[in-house]
Amino acid sequence: MTGLILTLLWLTLVKSTPIIYAALGGVISERSGVINIGLEGMMAAGAFGAVVASNYVGHGIAGAMIGLLAGIASGALIGYVLAFAATKFKVDQIVAGMGINLICSGGAAYGLVLIFNQPGASRQVNSLGNNGESALIGFAFLLAIVLHWVLYRTPWGLRVRATGENPLAVKSAGLDPLRFRLVAVILSGALAGLGGAFLSIGELNLYSDGMTAGRGFIALAAVIFGRWTPLGAMGAAMVFGLFEALQYALEGRFAWLPADALSALPYIAALVALAGITGKVRAPASDGVPY
Amino acid sequence: MKWRAAIVALAGMFVLAGCAMHHRGPQPGQLTLGMVTDVGGLGDQSFNDSAYRGLLASQAQLGAYIQVLQSRSAPDYQPNLSALSNLHFEMIYAIGFLMSGDLDEVARANPTQHYAIIDAVVPDPNVVSVTFKEEDGSFLAGALAAMMSRTHHIAFLGGQDIPLLEKFEAGFVAGAREIDPSTRVDVKYVGSFDDVAAGKELTQLLFDGGADIVYSAAGKATLGSIDAVKTRTGDYVIGVDSDQDGKAPGKILTSMVKKVDVAVFDVAKAIQEGHPLSGHLVLGLKQHAIGLTDFRYTRDQIGPSRLARLARIEQAIEDGRISPPNTRPGEAAFRPVPVP
Repeated sequence: MTGLILTLLWLTLVKSTPIIYAALGGVISERSGVINIGLEGMMAAGAFGAVVASNYVGHGIAGAMIGLLAGIASGALIGYVLAFAATKFKVDQIVAGMGINLICSGGAAYGLVLIFNQPGASRQVNSLGNNGESALIGFAFLLAIVLHWVLYRTPWGLRVRATGENPLAVKSAGLDPLRFRLVAVILSGALAGLGGAFLSIGELNLYSDGMTAGRGFIALAAVIFGRWTPLGAMGAAMVFGLFEALQYALEGRFAWLPADALSALPYIAALVALAGITGKVRAPASDGVPY
Repeated sequence: MKWRAAIVALAGMFVLAGCAMHHRGPQPGQLTLGMVTDVGGLGDQSFNDSAYRGLLASQAQLGAYIQVLQSRSAPDYQPNLSALSNLHFEMIYAIGFLMSGDLDEVARANPTQHYAIIDAVVPDPNVVSVTFKEEDGSFLAGALAAMMSRTHHIAFLGGQDIPLLEKFEAGFVAGAREIDPSTRVDVKYVGSFDDVAAGKELTQLLFDGGADIVYSAAGKATLGSIDAVKTRTGDYVIGVDSDQDGKAPGKILTSMVKKVDVAVFDVAKAIQEGHPLSGHLVLGLKQHAIGLTDFRYTRDQIGPSRLARLARIEQAIEDGRISPPNTRPGEAAFRPVPVP
């Protein structure tokens, strides 16, 4: 029994981590006033970029580290695309984000054929290993605390939040709100990319088509459930991670509980969280409004 | 000016890509073979890839013109099958149990078109159904696992809990009972064939639960099982469908190989020879369409006496002295047969 609880705890941490990274990305982006529906695509880009870099660099843990950086960079690059579309062209952020999701998942699927010469899944590459995986898990929680501090205790954080509430006020203070949005969305992409890289070379050692499996959207739910704060989003991500872990821990234990119903658990939890338990929440006033 | 150069360059790339992707159509008289994969898709390094190898062999050895349509989700099955039917391929393969309902409808609508389905039975006159006796190979896998387990505790990890996978499960459990009725066999299902991370977590859970050998029959998700066993010592995974032994040498005890490629090739060959196969083909150990690998990396760990015993059991299945069960009730009723 204690064995089961320990495994459940560990699995919860493993499964929460990519959602925490992406949800932190979601928080910082939405706090600056840009809704980042593209988290899912940025995770896919991060996961794929990490595997490609690790594949080419090789050489054990160093290769995997470079893969990790490449994953972050891939996410940031896609984040830049969304930031550019949202600040320069002032496009509808939802549409741009959906476009990014489609491009990234399709692009990665095509990239598998181009680079690994096989669709479906990449070949196995150097991964960060168990120590790297554990380090990334710890870092996720540390980062949530740091980001919370940055958003609420530094002038830069205040300005980012102000941009999300009322960009005109920021402008009248003599600052450029678009700069804050640009930086926040690029950071958002980098964080989602880090979450994706955790999936591909932290937890596993390959990219498998569709491996993000809606985690970017679950992260969006965690942002709302966590009331647009880093620590809240972290807690919400852990709730979703717990349900995903439960799915594995319960599988095969009860004959009447089919595996398909269990795999729906995290998604049902996300729906219930959004529909009911959240209570009265308030998004940043200018969230999703182009400036 | 810069923009114009960029546009020209971009257009050039598309033209080049178009040239590279342009396929010549089939030549007159060339055998034409179409294939629709299930959602596992090409690259599952397992079931669909095995079928694709059969198609490539037909291309190489029979000079066939081949075309593959991949299905991203279940609603793609029928449009893909219909698209190939409209192109009048001589044989269209539906890869996988999940397509049986859709193939039935398409086959009725195109009564002069030949179809083949792997892993399911579709009783239309223009469809040849190929199923495998996965229970034969799984029985051997279970017997080997029971002989090798130090904890007398092994496990089965399936993809989805469907009748097809029941054949793997029942055969495996019965095989273990054949060696040692007291062997404990845990059973879990991933819930999908393509969630690699779930495959890894569940395999770890099975190992943590005390099993030291996990038979992972879960398509692409088996790659996760293989990743899980890499960092463990003394534990094994048994791979599935294709020969996966080389993916973690020494840690994959063996793979339960299902020669879908041979079936695909044989069906194509029969078409070319002018007597298309029809009805229901059941391929098992006896037809050499099911079996374990050659233990290239684990031969020394298994040792000659166990291998000899396994060979005797294999012979007993071929002779019909042992009939591995293919359902859970059949497995519950299975009594070990003494093999000298």
